[in-house]
Amino acid sequence: MNFTFHRKRITGVLVVVPENERSFSEDMKNFNFPEARSLKLKEVMGFDKRRVVEPGVCVSDLAVFGLEQLFNRGLLHRDEIDALILVTQTPDHFVPATSSIVQGRLHLKPDMLCLDISQACAGFVVGLMQTFMLLEQESIKKVVLINADVLSRKASPKDRNIYPLIGDAAAITVVERDSEDSVIHASLKMDGARGHALTIPAGGLRMPATLETAILEDVGDNNLRAKDHLFMDGAAIFNFVQTEVPPLIEGLLATAGVSKDAVDYFLCHQPNRFMLQKLADKMKVPHAKMPNNVVERFGNNSGVSIPTVITYDLGDRLLREKLQVCLAGFGAGLTWCAMLVSLGKLDFNLITEYK
Amino acid sequence: MKCIFKNKKISAIVAVVPKEEYRFDDEYPVFKLTEDKAKRFKKMMSLDRHRIAPPDVCASDLCQYGLQQLLNAGALKKEEIGALLFVSQTPDYFMPPTSNVIQGKLGLGHDMVCLDINQGCTGFLLGFMQACLLLEIAALPKVVLLCGDTCSKQMDRCNRISYPLTGDAGSVTVIERCERESPIYMDVKNDGSRHKAIMIPAGAFRMPATPETLKLREVEEGVVQNLQHIHMDGPAIFNFTMGDVPPQVEEVLAFSGDTRDSIAHFLFHQPNPFILKQMADKMQIPQAKLPNNIVSLYGNCSSVTVPLNIALNCGEPLRRETRRVCLSAFGVGLTWISAVMDLGPLGVCKVVDYERT
Amino acid sequence: MDKIIFYEQLAKILDLEEVKPENVLIDFEAWDSLSVLSVLAMADAKYGASIKAEEIRSVVTAADLADLVASKQK
Repeated sequence: MNFTFHRKRITGVLVVVPENERSFSEDMKNFNFPEARSLKLKEVMGFDKRRVVEPGVCVSDLAVFGLEQLFNRGLLHRDEIDALILVTQTPDHFVPATSSIVQGRLHLKPDMLCLDISQACAGFVVGLMQTFMLLEQESIKKVVLINADVLSRKASPKDRNIYPLIGDAAAITVVERDSEDSVIHASLKMDGARGHALTIPAGGLRMPATLETAILEDVGDNNLRAKDHLFMDGAAIFNFVQTEVPPLIEGLLATAGVSKDAVDYFLCHQPNRFMLQKLADKMKVPHAKMPNNVVERFGNNSGVSIPTVITYDLGDRLLREKLQVCLAGFGAGLTWCAMLVSLGKLDFNLITEYK
Repeated sequence: MKCIFKNKKISAIVAVVPKEEYRFDDEYPVFKLTEDKAKRFKKMMSLDRHRIAPPDVCASDLCQYGLQQLLNAGALKKEEIGALLFVSQTPDYFMPPTSNVIQGKLGLGHDMVCLDINQGCTGFLLGFMQACLLLEIAALPKVVLLCGDTCSKQMDRCNRISYPLTGDAGSVTVIERCERESPIYMDVKNDGSRHKAIMIPAGAFRMPATPETLKLREVEEGVVQNLQHIHMDGPAIFNFTMGDVPPQVEEVLAFSGDTRDSIAHFLFHQPNPFILKQMADKMQIPQAKLPNNIVSLYGNCSSVTVPLNIALNCGEPLRRETRRVCLSAFGVGLTWISAVMDLGPLGVCKVVDYERT
Repeated sequence: MDKIIFYEQLAKILDLEEVKPENVLIDFEAWDSLSVLSVLAMADAKYGASIKAEEIRSVVTAADLADLVASKQK
């Protein structure tokens, strides 16, 4: 499904990463694999360091920290926030919504919208679409999009497919109307029939958490995982990305009448370096145009991965320059989506550490 | 936060309730109430019966059933569904979104938006707002809004304050574009500083589920709960309902240029008949215009209360005509949303019992 | 505020013949969250008084309650 948005722009991005860093060498000790094989995985996938929260730290903590930073630095005023969109699959509570909690902790005005959307890896593009739709309403002038997840808390330490790559983080993106006649193109597809490839089986109402769902099981591939834990079918996800994402992006570029060469960067969700290199090859895009270095520094941090690329790889440049970028998110749902947008000049584009 | 939507209409509403009905007169011994106390409680809260889903039936099952009914009847085609919204506080999973799960089960196409929104009592109005926002984008034919909750699973059966007033339900609402401008006037307000008034402390990420969080404690005589249950602050909710909601209703009436006389029906969320009557009296809205029977017949069904209210109390006239209505919902968040709009004629507007398929 | 009428209204809520100012509220069998709700409703409807949760939880006697409602009366 294609979308076109007019006169909207991103004015600032702040990424909050936990101070706490883990390394693959530490994590490796828990796996049921010979060290040599694990090291091979590290090399191919680009695993090295990642940031994870300390026990008990939640999405609202990262979000509140980030927003307070923006308030303190005069980059955002609390009364200007007309809508708060919080995209997560690891909420503080089932009841109430985490956006309500953030609103309350920061004493934001009552005359505003708080909305929680359940999305993960595709959540930045989905979230941006939401902000653009809201800004069509006259009373809404500034929307704050928060993407945040603490999925490390659902990763089994004995699961080599998941544990060494998960990172936690939050991103705060400010979106407003654009005085220039700008156009943003987006394309979105979803397939729930394949949704079981990326899931947390227990904890919701279909299979409530019990003592049984916490038991580690040998799932047959030498990894141990409980039904409470995050499960990813690596092969299925790889095939999904290779098959679905290139045609989606190509279709989007065709609709927009923009050539691949005219795109400065392809800023994709960052599952691991291997997948992104293969994706770039398939699309015949030079690796330099599709940054793939987030996982080795921060881990795969779900919906925050695209904002992490934006802040980490393009940092100060976006304060001075305007770049034509193609964002691409893909993951839980299964969801795959892309957005062609002009990024910059931003008021701020930062990474900060949560202590 | 005010919004106006034009050229949008609701074209169908189906509310789905479990077949399993339980009467207060049969249940009250479980609540450790004397017959006198039970009589007093029953009278004060106008209790009679409620519908509770069996243990293996989730909110998504109720909603999926309603949607399947519309598809089977030819009232809706799969390819017309441009977006599927699932608004709930009782989702199937943390991941993937329940709307995707339903998409997969029904074999819907890939060229569509599926969105899960976490909300309780105000979920229907919030979802309706979301549907209108999506319909501004030309490529989308129709939006299907699913609201569903099985709040009975978020409390103890022996909790005499919560359990008898609760019901499980799901609803399916079809929203699409229309020729007539028919503006929809809406106001949204939030106050997260009072979020503890309605909350589930444990089970998600602030306090993960453990054997400890399942231990029952008696907070008051006959009121047992654990940390994974809904905790409600009665006085705070009462003050919120009486203090914050009426001014918003007035605001939205002024916004749309309506009066109590120009509104045919005030179709409100129903926390319990006692509070709703207090509110109606305070606002001087005649009882005839403000139905107050949902809790007595089905229980407080969270976000489904409003569509159930519409279908049960106004289903017949709304299938034939257009009526000017004021909708209002309030609760979890704390959030309160009110709207004034024309409603009807609806192709479908009914309440059905859930059947296992 | 006419406290005699207030005590009569309170007695009605508690299903009693009479309530005296010095009566301790938690001693009443019917003093539960339901009664609290009824009192809040009565305070709002009849006296225009909006009582907070912490306030009602801190009163001890019927007289304390009457004073609280009187202090909030509009």
